[in-house]
Amino acid sequence: MNDVTRHESQAGVTARNSHNSAMRPPVDIYEEDNALFVVADMPGVTRESLKVEVDDNLLSIEGEMHIDMPEGITATYAEAMAQRYARRFTLSHEIDTDTIEAHLEKGVLQLRLPKKERHKSRRIEIKAS
Amino acid sequence: MFGDLRRFDTGVSPGADWFRQWLDEILSAESAADIRSVPRGSFPLINVGRTDDAVRVYVLAAGLTTEDLEIHVQDNVLTLRGRRDALPRDDDSERKRPIFRRERFDGEFVRSIGLPDGIDVERAEARCHDGVFEIHLPKREELKPRRIEIQAA
Repeated sequence: MNDVTRHESQAGVTARNSHNSAMRPPVDIYEEDNALFVVADMPGVTRESLKVEVDDNLLSIEGEMHIDMPEGITATYAEAMAQRYARRFTLSHEIDTDTIEAHLEKGVLQLRLPKKERHKSRRIEIKAS
Repeated sequence: MFGDLRRFDTGVSPGADWFRQWLDEILSAESAADIRSVPRGSFPLINVGRTDDAVRVYVLAAGLTTEDLEIHVQDNVLTLRGRRDALPRDDDSERKRPIFRRERFDGEFVRSIGLPDGIDVERAEARCHDGVFEIHLPKREELKPRRIEIQAA
């Protein structure tokens, strides 16, 4: 986002460097209709630059910010100090990783992580003694 | 006068930001803070850049549409005002949904930043895409850098 990182990437600095400077997107996580929902703020990320992966039980969310900036711009003030977002979560076994859905709109990523059939919640009756 | 003070009230940052705020306090104990500075992670994040002929403000406001953000400039102070509902309302009040994390900003916000002198507010423009608002504030003609020709004596 700031011109410093921008110029570095143009100068061909290794990807490892940009990996270090990733922002942690804030998330909301809640449960509804037998699924977990993860909502993440990733402004500037497009469908093409978003990467959502599940490896084993590790969910990783990554995205690159795409902002058109004119040539020769100098940053005078920066709160967003990186051009990438990255965050990872470990999933528990009840999540059906094959049916995860992702939806990106206006820089907000919404993930739906359905639970497996056999893990759906069952109400346990409390018997009178 | 008190209405003015409220401009700086951006609300408490969401999530476990107490740690950051505490760090900010410790680290900035000696130095003076800018009057309009806010704790890190406030919503929306703002970056400002400058070219020879304009100042560009980038507002990272995920989830907002053009109608949700109000942009004002007065006396070289840019004010952003709006509202964001982090999650859709939980209508089913009988069975509340369990919430595990709540870090995203929720509610109304107002943020102000000081701009450099010489902005031509009349020609200012703003547009947005993917949750990023770009505000283009051209400098007044007479303040643009200019080459001065050296004339032969």
